Parts: sequence; C-alpha cells; structure tokens
Amino acid sequence: MAEALSAAALDERVLSFPERRPPAAWFAAFAFTSSAMLLGFALIGYTVYMGIGVWGNNRPVGWAFDIINFVFWIGIGHAGTLISAILLLMRAPWRNAIARFSEAMTLFAVMTAGIFPAIHVGRPWLEFWLAPYPNQRGLWPNFRSPLMWDVFAVSTYFAVSVLFWYIGLLPDLASMRGRAQTPLRRMALTVLSLGWRGTPQQWRHYEKAYILLAGLATGLVLSVHSVVSFDFATSLVPGWHMTLFPPYFVVGAIFAGFAMVVLVLSAARRLMGLEDLITMRHLELANKVILGCSCLMGYSYACEAFTAWYSMNPYIQHTFMQYVSGTYGWAGWIAITCNVLVPQLFWWRRMRTSQTAMIVVALAVTAGMWFERFVIIVISLYHDFLPSSWHVYQPTLVDFGILLGSFGFFFTLVLLFTRLLPVIATTEVKATLPGAQHEGGHHG
Amino acid sequence: MAEPTGPELSRREFLGVLGASAGLAAGCSRPDRGELVPFTRRPDGARPGTADFYASACQEGRNVCGVLVRTREGRPIHVQGNDRQPFGAKASLRAIAGLMDLYDPDRLPQPFTGGMASSWPAAEESLVSVLLEARAGGKPVLLLTGALLSPTRRALLKDLQKALPGLVHAAWEPALGGDPESAALLACFGDARRPRLRLDRAKLILALDADLLSGARPEEIAGFAANRGERAMNRLYAFEGGMSLTGANADHRVPWRPSRAAALGFALARALGRRGIPLPAGLETALAGFELGALAREQGVDPALLESLADDLRQAGSSALVAAGPGLPPQAHAAVFLLNAMLGAQGHTVDAAAAAPAEPLAGREELDRLLRDAARGKFAAALFWQANPAYAFPDAALWKAAAAGLPYKVRIGMHADETARDCHLVLPEHHWLESFNDFEPAADFLLLQQPAVSPLYDTRQGEDVLLAALRGLGGADPADYRHYLMERWRREVQPAGSLVPFERFWSAALHEGVLRREPVARPPRRLDPAAVARLAGQAAPLRAPGFELALGPADGVGDGRQANNGWLQELPDPITKLSWGNAVSVSPTDASRLGLVDGDLARLTVGKTAAVLPVVVQPGQAVGVLSAALGYGRAVGTVAGGVGTDLYPFADAAADAGTAVKLEKTGRREALAFVQRHHKMEGRDIVRSLPWAAHGAGSESKQHDLSTLYPPQEFPKHKWAMAVDLSRCVGCQSCVLACQSENNVPTVGAARVLRGREMHWLRVDRYYEGDERSPRVLLQPMFCQQCDHAPCETVCPVAATNHSDEGLNQMAYNRCVGTRYCANNCPYKVRRFNFFEFTAATPESRRLAFNPEVTVRPRGVMEKCTFCVQRIQEAKSAAKAAGRELRDGDIEPACAAACPAGAIVFGDRRDPESRVSRLARSARGYRVLEELGVRPAVTYLADLRNPADGGKDG
Repeated sequence: MAEALSAAALDERVLSFPERRPPAAWFAAFAFTSSAMLLGFALIGYTVYMGIGVWGNNRPVGWAFDIINFVFWIGIGHAGTLISAILLLMRAPWRNAIARFSEAMTLFAVMTAGIFPAIHVGRPWLEFWLAPYPNQRGLWPNFRSPLMWDVFAVSTYFAVSVLFWYIGLLPDLASMRGRAQTPLRRMALTVLSLGWRGTPQQWRHYEKAYILLAGLATGLVLSVHSVVSFDFATSLVPGWHMTLFPPYFVVGAIFAGFAMVVLVLSAARRLMGLEDLITMRHLELANKVILGCSCLMGYSYACEAFTAWYSMNPYIQHTFMQYVSGTYGWAGWIAITCNVLVPQLFWWRRMRTSQTAMIVVALAVTAGMWFERFVIIVISLYHDFLPSSWHVYQPTLVDFGILLGSFGFFFTLVLLFTRLLPVIATTEVKATLPGAQHEGGHHG
Repeated sequence: MAEPTGPELSRREFLGVLGASAGLAAGCSRPDRGELVPFTRRPDGARPGTADFYASACQEGRNVCGVLVRTREGRPIHVQGNDRQPFGAKASLRAIAGLMDLYDPDRLPQPFTGGMASSWPAAEESLVSVLLEARAGGKPVLLLTGALLSPTRRALLKDLQKALPGLVHAAWEPALGGDPESAALLACFGDARRPRLRLDRAKLILALDADLLSGARPEEIAGFAANRGERAMNRLYAFEGGMSLTGANADHRVPWRPSRAAALGFALARALGRRGIPLPAGLETALAGFELGALAREQGVDPALLESLADDLRQAGSSALVAAGPGLPPQAHAAVFLLNAMLGAQGHTVDAAAAAPAEPLAGREELDRLLRDAARGKFAAALFWQANPAYAFPDAALWKAAAAGLPYKVRIGMHADETARDCHLVLPEHHWLESFNDFEPAADFLLLQQPAVSPLYDTRQGEDVLLAALRGLGGADPADYRHYLMERWRREVQPAGSLVPFERFWSAALHEGVLRREPVARPPRRLDPAAVARLAGQAAPLRAPGFELALGPADGVGDGRQANNGWLQELPDPITKLSWGNAVSVSPTDASRLGLVDGDLARLTVGKTAAVLPVVVQPGQAVGVLSAALGYGRAVGTVAGGVGTDLYPFADAAADAGTAVKLEKTGRREALAFVQRHHKMEGRDIVRSLPWAAHGAGSESKQHDLSTLYPPQEFPKHKWAMAVDLSRCVGCQSCVLACQSENNVPTVGAARVLRGREMHWLRVDRYYEGDERSPRVLLQPMFCQQCDHAPCETVCPVAATNHSDEGLNQMAYNRCVGTRYCANNCPYKVRRFNFFEFTAATPESRRLAFNPEVTVRPRGVMEKCTFCVQRIQEAKSAAKAAGRELRDGDIEPACAAACPAGAIVFGDRRDPESRVSRLARSARGYRVLEELGVRPAVTYLADLRNPADGGKDG
C-alpha cells in the first residue's frame, strides 16, 4: 500500500465519502441510470399487464432476452464471490482493497438477475407456487425440474452473499458510527452495526464466521452457475444437452464478472480518487484472471465444436453450424471475437496496465458474454429437431428497454452504494498497512 | 326527526304490497309476444350437460355434404360428417368451419331499408309492392343466386315464376367462371350432368389440373385413400401448373402448363389408339396433330414418362379415371371425356348414372347480357341471393353500370357485404345451421338440412323471403318454407303407396339426414365423337412463351363467401403454408430470372387489369405458370376486410388464352404469415416414404430400443395411443379445423402468426425433397405425441404437466405459471403458449361456439393436444352407464372423426387386438424422433408411393 497512507487518512478518505455531498458527475450518472431503471420497470409493468407477447419470444424460441439477461447477470455476480471468498481462502492479500466493491456488485447483479425469472413467466402472480410451502392442496413443486434447482441455487447464493457482505461490513459500519455527525445517522449506524465494539472476542467470532461463510460461498461460486447451466444441459435441445456446460458456465461467469469488476473499479477509483487504494496492480491481476478465463472460453468453444463433430449427431451438428453461420452466425462471431480474441491483448503487460485498453477489453467481454448467452439460448432453440417449426426470433423494443432497465437498476444500486457505504473494507486494508499487525488485524 | 306524514305502512304491509306488485308485473304479458311462460320445467328433449346430434347438410358451391351437428344446451358446437350418407363421407373443411359463420358477430341482426334499421313486415311490404308494380308494368325482375342444388328450392322458384312471369333467374358460382366443364358436357353428351368420380374404384388416376384431394372434397379423398395401403394401391399421375394437394400426393407429378392440358389429353388418346384401343370414328384425322413425343419435348418432360403413362392407362382400362380441373377450357374436358370413354371408365370410375340432375349455371355471356340489360334499365328490380356480384363479378365496370341501372336492389344474405352496400333493401338470412332444406347431390340419395339452433337474430331463411313474395303476389300460401318442404316431400318424395304415415317417414328422414332411393333409370349417355373432333380442332394452339395465370378458389376461404371466418383465414394453404392472405405462386426458375423471393411484392398485369401482390416461390410450379387463390381481398368484414388481394378482376383475362400476363418486381416487400418457413427435412428421419413395390420386403422399420434407468411405467387400465397412416393422409387439414372447433383453440391473426404464435394444436407439416423444379412433397400431421418419457413433464417446476396412468401427457391449465420450459424441451414443438389473452378477446357471439367440455385457457398458460381427453371421459361414462367395457372404436378424437381418409386411428395399446395396436406393429410403423428416448405414443405408418418404375429413384 502507499506509504503515505495512515490508518486515520484511510478512514478519512473512505469513510468520509458517504458523508460528503456527491459531486455533480454522480448526480448526472444517477439521473441517467435511474431513468433507465424506471423505463425498465415501466416496461415490466406493461409486460405483466399485456402478456409475454409484447416481447419477441415465440415458438420455438420460448426463452430469449429474459433468460439471456438472467444468465448474464448471475454470471456478473460471480467475480465478487470469487474475489471475496476464494481469494480470501487462498490468502491473496491484494483482494482486500477490491473485495467490498466486488461483493456489492455480486449482490446487485444477483438482484438484477432475480428480476428475470420472476417476470419471464406467463402468470407472475402465481410465482409463489415455485416455493415449496405446505398447503392444504397438498401440492408441491416438481423437484425434478432444473428451474426448481435454480430457485434453490440462486436464493441460497443470494442469502450467503448478503450475509458474507454484511458481516464484512460490520467493523466499517461501527467506524462510521463513530464519525456520525447527526443523531439520525448515528442511530441508523448503531442499529446496522449490531453493537460492534471491536473487542477481541468479537474479532474472534467475526473471523470464524467470515472464514466459514467464505468456505460456503466458495462452493457456491462453483455450484450456482453449474445449476444454472443444468437448465440447459439436462434438456433435450440440441446445443444445450452437453456435459461441458457446468464448467463452461462457471468459467464464463467468472470471466464476465471480472470484466465488470474492472469496468466499475476503473471508473470508481478515478471518480472517487481512490487510485492509491485500488491500484493498477489490482487491475492488472484482475486482467490476468480475464486472460486466463478467455483461454478457457476458447477451449470451451473448441470443445463444443469437437463434441458436435465427434457425436455424429446431426441435430447437434446442425445447431453448431448455426452458431457460426446462418441467420444468427454474426452473434456467434461476436462472441468468439469478444471473448476469445480481444482479451488476448492481455498477454502484453502494457495492455494489462493500460486504463484505456482494459476498458475496451472489459466492454468487449461484457458484450461478448451477453452474445454468448444469446447464441446458446436463441440459436439452439430456433433450429431444433423438426425443421417445420424453425422460426427466426426478433426482439421487440420492449425487450431492449428491459435490458437497458436492468443495466439501469444495477448501476443505480452501485451508485447508491458508493454514497451510502464504505466502498473499501477499511479494517481489512488497515491490516495490510505497514506496521498494522498490532491493531488486531486478522490476516496475520 | 320528522314524523312520517303519509299513512303508516308497516314492514309486513310493505312486503305484501311489494309481492303483489311483482306478481302483477309478472302476470301482465306483452300483447305482441303472447303469454310469457316461466322456465319452471325443462323443455322436452333438452338434457343439460349432454350433447345432442342433429343430421343436417351443408351446401358449398356445387358440392353438398351431409353433416352431424353436435349441440350443447341448444347451441351447435361442432360439425362433423354424417356417416349415414353414401361413401361414408366426412364433412368438408368449410362445413366444419361453418360453425364460426353462424356465430359471426358481423351478421346482420335485422332487415335494413335504405341503410336504416327496419322490420320484417315493412321490408316485405316494400319488396312485394315493388314486385307487384313490376308485374303490373310488365317489367322483368332479375334474381341472381348461387348454384341451385335443392329440388324444393327449384320448385319454389318455379312457383314464383308462375306468379311473377317476368322473373329472370340466373345461377352463378364465381369461382367456376364460365363453367367450361358444363359447356363441354353439354357439347359432347348433350346433357350437363356431372358424373360422380369413383376414386374408390380407380386403380389408375390421371388428374389434369384437377385438385381431387382438397379439403372441399372429402368423398374423393375417402375413395383415394381406400386404395393406398399394403393390400391395394392405386397410382396417381398429376399434371398441373401450380402445386396442389393432388400433385403433392401423386406418384408422378409433372409440372405442366394448363393451356397444354387439352393437347396432352388428345395426344394420350392417340397413344391409346396405337396401343390397340381404337379411336372413335372420325377422330383419327382430328387428332393427327397431337403427338406425345412432341409435347414432351415442348414441355421439357421425359418422353418415356408420357409413354409409360399411356401404357399404364391401357393396362388399367376401365379401372382408370381421368379428371380435368374446373378451370380448364372445354377442349381439355372433351379430351378427358374421350379418354374415359376409350378406356371404358365411363360408367365405372366415371359414374354418370348416379349423377344429380344438372344444375344449369349461367355462362359468362348470359351474365354479361343480363347485366347489360340491367344497365339499360330493363329490369324493375333485382334480388341477389347467395351471390355477391359487387365483389366477385370480374367486370367491375359492367357491374357498376348495372347497379346504377337497377331501380330497386335487394340483397338477401348474412352480411352487409359489398353488394348489400349498393342495395335498397337488405334482408338478413339464416345461416344453414338455422335453416330447412333438401339437396340432391346424386341421383340415388337426398340430403335433408334441418336447423340445429333457433335463429340467433331477427333473420329469415332466403326461401321464406321468396315465399312471402309469393304470398304477396297471390300465389299459394304455405305458412313457411318448412311446411312447403314437407308438402313437397309428402307429394313427391315419399314413395307412392307407402304404408308408413308421412309424419313418421319425415321424422325418420330428418333423423337420418339422408334418404336413399332408387335412381331414375337413364339410358347410358354416349360421347359424340363429332363434338370432340370439333373441340379438338379448337384446342388452343401453343401459346406464345410468357406467363399464363391459373386462378382457383382458396383451400381455406374458398370463393370468398366464407372469408369472414377466422378459422378459415388462419388455416394455412396446405402447400404454401401461408395463412391470412393470398400470394401469386411463381416457379423457382421464373423467380430467379425475375429476381423474386418469397414476400416480394410484384405487379401482376393481365390485359388492362393490374394489381400488386406478394410472391411465393413455389417448388414444383410449372415454368411460365402463375397461380393464385381467389376469395381474398374482401372490402368488408371485421375479419375478412383487407386480407389478401382480390383476384376476381383477373378471372376473365386469365381464362382468355390470348391475353398477355406480366409480372414485374416492385422492389417492395411484405411480411407473409407463413406457419412453416423451412421446407426441407435436412436429411432427418421425420417423414418416411417407401416405394410400394418394395414394402414388406426387407423394409422392417428400424426400431430403437433405448434402455432406461427407470422402472417401467405401469398403465393398469388403458394405454391410449394413436396411429397415423401417412399413406392415407393427403394433408387436407380437416383434422386441423376439427381440432380447433373441438378444443376451443383461438385464432390469433396475421400479425401474431408472423411472430410464430399461432395456436393450432394439430398442424400438418409439409416438406419438399429433391429437385425444387419438381420436388417430392411429404406431409405429416403433427400434434402432441403423448410421450411416456415426456421431456416436458420433467422440466415443469410446478408439475402442471404430468403423466396419467392411462398414458396421457396431461396439462393442468390452472397450475401452469407459464415458464415455457416445457415448450423449449418439446422436440416436436407442439406446445402452444398464450402470449396474450386470446379467449377473453373472443367476441360474445363467438363464445357460443365454445365446447363446454374443454376449458378455455387464459393468457400466460401453455396448451396442447390432449388426445381429446373429454371424449375419452365421455365414452368411459357411456360405457359405464351401459354396464359394459369400453370397446375399440368407442373413442374417436375430433381429428380422427374428421379425417376423410381414415388416416388417424385412436385406441388402447393394452388391448393387443385393437386397431391401433395392430397398426403400431405394422412393418411400416415408426415413431418420429424415437431415438431421443421420449417414447412417443403416436405411431406413424410410412408413406407408400407407387411410381411406375417401382421407385428406383427413391
């Protein structure tokens, strides 16, 4: 860490942020994202009122933007969990500065993702039937359905992520309580910090809980997107029915998540003046993860091609050819270009440490991963077994509006987060400051 | 608080007064309605909750079919064929769809005079006064109708003619144009009776632009399908310009210009002459110019094929049947008469003895003359009944002049249509399901039409309007047409000297809907060779290269009379699979020359008439031939208005060989509502087709036996299954409509078909294989396969779709939340999603057509074929009430009951001797996509084709 930084200065830098009036740029950004969010919610209301028909979904393409967006946002969340949990367990101290932000992004991404399964059904007001609650009709959900597994996987993931994030927040909330100027703020932070006083006993419990949750979350990083991939892998649809899917989806999720982390952190460190806390080293390490994932994505695509060829299954072969040729072949090439070719720039250190280059790559990966889900979902569905049913899919303006709204929702939450809570885990960063060991830091 | 000032009224007294006044109100009857009778006792015969069937009949142009109307609580909900009629014919497509016309919200509810709502007494008075005036002034009155197939209606017209000597009657069927077939019959036989085509007796069928297998002809389909199987196999040759279902089912289909059909017929006659069947005297020279080899070269066809056709005809002899389409010129019909006569088919496969009396249609010259007279003000009045000249008369200018020259015009019809807009008096007519009538479709039986519902609106039967006119003119006065009909039957139909009281005879006939009788013996009619020679001399010479236009009624909406029918509009064309509109079909060769692709808008110019309409590139279309469907482009109707293009203005020019036909690209495009957009099977094993010569010999179908980790499913009582014989199925789509009617399947409109959201539970897939200039067409009805290992069932998170212990893949609509996961995972793509609220959007009157046994589905819910589970339950209850076991054949799903080919068989696989079990064991049997391990319950029997070369090519 920067030598000039003392613990007090760190507190001042990070904890004072929510106490100051936000800059004009923040308001401008917030105005934009919240408008997009409102548009999205208005269009969701329109969909619920009119029916799924206002989207482009048809027969045979029963799922389209709805499930693409779901898988996309769930994937975005994975980086946060990976950074906070797996890197914690692997004792990678560089994670500390970016863990809080990434975890928050995980939560927001899962919240955004959660909208889509909720609104994609024909009768959302009956959605509670997916919950296994005792009822006098004696009806239970169908536990054989991968959608049911999704419900459990995503809700578990969300619950663990919230707990993990919140427990990590406690010491910082207490620090903010100490700085609070107004009684209302003080009271709110008193409640939120759950009586944290920083006693050695509390630290002991805290660390145990934190490590335990990290262990739980680590399993979830692997399981959630594996379960999401089961929606596809356990079906019959050519292009979906592949054993490759669980690892392929997990890698893709981490890939997309890190790209989003790089994007958001690049902006945040600049706008919030945190360049010395979130350093180029952090970003470079994240870029290395992106490069590694990109190579794995390339391997997965090659593996899909091999499976299609080696299976001698005409349906899968046809679907694979549709990925790279036919009506939507361009989408397949966008995915390959953005996910496999563009990140190869990161083999060069200059690119990994160039702010411009990494933003370009991260944007490419974000777009590429969205298109990858388009390829998997729409292209596999639009040409399945009986050619008589083949039909192209065309999204409507409502589809695009809701997609825009999901970005609006996510970034609105991110912006609110920067105003309300410390974006960096000060207690954890303090532990890595020179000579900080005596302060009761937990990473010894 | 103020004290009540009036007389004190206790609560008890108040209630007493209230009751008395209510009683007073109820007791008073309105003077014009007679006494009102409260519904305290059930009317006789009405059994709530059970269906009643009424035999009736439906006329459609020159065809009639006997039907059974299923009613519930007094309203018709389903139309199917009456199996008591000869040849076991089913209902035609448009008879099944007639139900929707009954409940059409556009129907006229009451008479209109000069555009103002009126009443029947006033309307009749006005009509009678005009007729009386005409009679007094000695001016003629024009009556334009559709084809007259009812002997009683003919008798009524005769009576009317007596009372009104100036009555000029003309019968007109717009889709038949000038009716060249009748003209040829009259010329060659001296008698215009159309023979009955006995496809059931034919071993070899040659169709010259004749669509024998369209959904309008269930009788022909039945006859054809009866000889398509392992045991009996006919052979069908089709020479046609556009692709029809007949061509699609042919063993040899040859793209052929309609203008050269006559030449082909005459050349075949000569070729038969060389094969030992002597040409009738005098024809040798007349036919000298017709040569098979030259024709083959001219049309780019393998000469060997035409020679082998001649061999086949020679061999089949009297078991051959040659038919020409109604759109072909008289020369082609003459050639066909000659061929049938030479082969000895006359009287065997072409049965003139059973032909109904000829119903003379007015030719174009006669109609032109009448309308010109009308334009000159010759007529005092005109009545248009079942005829809509403002829409369908090709010469719009002449019609306009005639309409202007007619001082008084009356429209008797169901809608405020194009003609009604020009008329002074618009008299709303009953639907056929509200009417009484009789029909004489053949010499050996009569069909009776009876109402299955009391009139929905203040309408009258057209005949009753004429009867009112007859009464006003001082003619005989039976109370109504029903009595008129009964009187005529008492006098003329009941066999003289019968001991059965007439009432019993009548009610038995009504009950059956059919009355068989001995045909009047007629001497066999003889072909006049001189007439044939004369026509052969006029056979159209080779046309200049360029397009010719072939028009015919649409498979769905027919000639346009039923265009305001959503079921028929959404029913796709059986070949192009285009719904909601028509397009001009162009051969791939011409399309690539003109740079046209599907959906391009092109300007069609024939003579002076031009229109811009979309193009469909039709594989198998003959080069140089444009074909398109009539019946679209109606100006009025909430459903029909503005759908497609009206091509009647082209009808005259199209019939005239001399008119140049042009097609030009406009550069604009239109989205076409196809329900199928990919036309090849991509080498997949979906529709199997075997040469008949090879069936059985080593053609044991490949059986997939996929092992499973799960224990075998138990079906303790029944295991429902279906078999579809693709060799019998001709793709007429009667099943599609019957399913729609039975299961309350909504129509969604063109915009939603474009988005792939049509709701048909049953569809007929059509694939092209091979060379697109002359492809093989494969057809396959596709619906829920009721898989035992149903992929839809495992993925539904709320278990809304699950398996019954009788093998049905059932949907609990109430439980469905609409994830659409099941539809994604269905390999057959037969699940339909309610993307919008379709049912609630159904107009009030159309809801009366709903089958109360089938739940309607709200938006957001998935639906699909149920194997007509309601019919299964009904049959089970009936068997239980009768104290017996279910028998094979007790249950007939709507599609099976409607199939004229008998291609769909339903039954219990647990019974090894049931028909479906036997068919499922057939060597031709296979299950589509069986390799996926889903264990479908539907067995398809491979299509059999019987080409002359034994199927060496395929």
